[in-house]
Amino acid sequence: MAKIIKEKNDVQYKSTITRRESLKWLGILSASALLPSLVGCEDSDSTSTIANAVGDSIKGHWPDLTLPPITVKGYGKDPSMIIPPKSPWPKTLTAEQLTLVAVLADILVPREGDVPSATEVNVPDVIDEWASAPYERQQGDRLTILSTLVWLNDEAQLRFTQTFVALSPIEQLNIVDDIAYQKDDLAEEFIRIARAFSRFRKLVLAAFFCTPEGTKDLGYLGNVPIAGDYPGPTDEAMVHLNQTLEQLGLTQA
Amino acid sequence: MKDFYYEVVVVGSGAGGAMAAYTLAKAGHKVLMLEAGRDYDPKTETPMFKTNAQAPLMGAGNVDKDFGFYDATVDGGWTVPNEPYTTGENSDFMWWRARMLGGRTNHWGRYSLRFSEHDFKGKTRDGLGADWPFEYEELAPWYDKTETLVGICGTNTGLDDMPDSAEGVLQPPPKARVPELLVAAAAKKLGIATAPMHRAVLTRPKDNRQACFYATPCGHGCSIGAAFQTTTSLLPMAKATGNLKIITDAMVRMVDVDENGQANALTYVDKKTGKDIKLAAKVIILAASACESARLLLNSKNAHHPNGLANSSGQVGRNLMDSTGTGVGAHIPALEGRPIYNEDGHTANHLFIPWWGHKQHAKGELDFPRGYHFEIGSGFRAPGSGVSGNLQGYGKELKDQAKQYYGAGVYLALRGEMLPNEHCYMEIDDKVTDKWGIPVAKFHWKWADHELKQVEHGLKTARKILETMGATFTSPLPSADKAILKGGQIIHEVGSTRMGESPKDSVTNQYGQTWDCKNVFVMDAGVFASNPHKNCTLTIMTLAMRNASWLATQLSKGAL
Repeated sequence: MAKIIKEKNDVQYKSTITRRESLKWLGILSASALLPSLVGCEDSDSTSTIANAVGDSIKGHWPDLTLPPITVKGYGKDPSMIIPPKSPWPKTLTAEQLTLVAVLADILVPREGDVPSATEVNVPDVIDEWASAPYERQQGDRLTILSTLVWLNDEAQLRFTQTFVALSPIEQLNIVDDIAYQKDDLAEEFIRIARAFSRFRKLVLAAFFCTPEGTKDLGYLGNVPIAGDYPGPTDEAMVHLNQTLEQLGLTQA
Repeated sequence: MKDFYYEVVVVGSGAGGAMAAYTLAKAGHKVLMLEAGRDYDPKTETPMFKTNAQAPLMGAGNVDKDFGFYDATVDGGWTVPNEPYTTGENSDFMWWRARMLGGRTNHWGRYSLRFSEHDFKGKTRDGLGADWPFEYEELAPWYDKTETLVGICGTNTGLDDMPDSAEGVLQPPPKARVPELLVAAAAKKLGIATAPMHRAVLTRPKDNRQACFYATPCGHGCSIGAAFQTTTSLLPMAKATGNLKIITDAMVRMVDVDENGQANALTYVDKKTGKDIKLAAKVIILAASACESARLLLNSKNAHHPNGLANSSGQVGRNLMDSTGTGVGAHIPALEGRPIYNEDGHTANHLFIPWWGHKQHAKGELDFPRGYHFEIGSGFRAPGSGVSGNLQGYGKELKDQAKQYYGAGVYLALRGEMLPNEHCYMEIDDKVTDKWGIPVAKFHWKWADHELKQVEHGLKTARKILETMGATFTSPLPSADKAILKGGQIIHEVGSTRMGESPKDSVTNQYGQTWDCKNVFVMDAGVFASNPHKNCTLTIMTLAMRNASWLATQLSKGAL
């Protein structure tokens, strides 16, 4: 299902400790109820990742990635808007990362009848473009997205000694179910990843709804020229409004 | 331009400059216009019907395109490459500029509300700020002429904050949308009226411009001319008279004077060659935007004008004002899952909430001196890089939540009047120059209690309206100093060359003619004596039409 890009890019990020090292460590510690944050155990140049509200006392593992900034140029202040740039900057996700993005995107937005899945309408490419963009907001999201990907593979290793992509759908959901709901009683080790996953989820949804198929699925009916006056709300919409007003104890102005 | 004998040089091609040039050209006077940005043609450059999927980053904004990929602004936004500005200590100020023919009129919100009788004589009423050198009645016929020429949709409401236009001037407004009608009903319960917004959008065709077809956001520009911008209206119409010539990529460095201190020329940088060019000028109209025109005057220092041209009052750069801005958004459960229809309309407010507090002010019931209005953000919008709602889970359940939330958000944006204060001004930074070696503007800013109290009132009122619609708020009301947007952020900067009745405390007379140099005029928002909350562009154009008409008679009489 997932669309795999064959081109293999250089790895653009590095963890301050190797994955193998950190996982070995996690394996040792996993018996313990309290997992200390890795932040305190790492090199002094390691920087905290993601919105840091949880602080140093978090439980669970977290890949404190140190990403070199993306320094390529943006599209500038006068790009053609008639023919927008197709590849405004080099995409940086590796084939492996992109595959994981694709698997996740289709868990979030699977095919529903005639409505295609996220991957079928190239959502992973949009995520790659987003995560590779040289702008501040996107570079923040880049850290969130790549941390999410690393966390999922780490968690997959811990639970099933496999990469996330190699897991069965049931095993994948075994992990996703723990991080896809930001409820009040969420286990502490999932708070940070749930927040990161939530950001990723919104990007995937946005990218999906932007496509013609997604826009149709959402129901947006605009961006079509209307001859004559704007027709305003449909009768059905006005019936609903009037019911709403009645429920709220309001009357039309 | 050797073959073109112009009488007037206009600096800037936006709202003020284009209206001044059009008015003079129509009256038979030859005008040469200088524009610092590049040539721009909305007919071929506007991204009509483009979707966010076709743009990089789903159309999201960034430092290159602050208001999104498709925003019409060229070579500008909050930053202009190689043309910095600076701010003083503890001062936050944001300055939006465009470097394109037509300036900021290519992307503006097109909200076009008349100032009312209250707005011209505020000082007489409450002792604060400055009065304008005329009353509303003086400007009313010019508003009618400007609205007729520009093309404004809206209705006469009879509300005290919205003076009526003459019969037949306004074009019909579009029908209100469902969330706007819900806001109207909730506001009504609180004793607050809503009204059709007045917008410079044609709902009926006019001259060579088509009526709106209710698609494609106006901020992208409008290739059919329905949404007003000078590049599809005043500029081509003025050029058609044969009396207007335009030079683009011409960044004016200074106004030059003769041995008697009389302005007689302009020096501009030809950005394509980097060379300075000096143009003789009999009459000069500055309409480069409030802060660019003030910067230009301050940079035109010479032995006769040691503090800058037309600055014997010391008021150039002072009295800088923006609109106050804040907003409250909420999810309205009652709007969840409502029947979907096309809510694009003319892509901005069909209804808004005009200021309702004049009577309360008169009775002394409010603890802040000047009013505000609310703009309503809502609707089934074109999908973009954001999806609203506290979405959880995955799969069908996730998409169903997103669909449930779609079109159920309402945002009330406050736009209010600020008063001038001694801490809000601009000057020339003597340490920083732009790429062309022109000293840059340095901004100083501090909101006063007047604005903070107004914002506090607005936040409370907005919450009340939204709560009446069924919204719930769990977080405490933010403090006004946290909630108020930065100076300049509403892009309504005015007052830096204000008009008045005396050369002692103002820069120009009521016609925008500088007291110190009879042949130098300012016809942008710099001349505003106050900054009413009703969006400045319509009044910039109205003043430019009135004052350029007066200038035309002066030229015809040989008075200049």
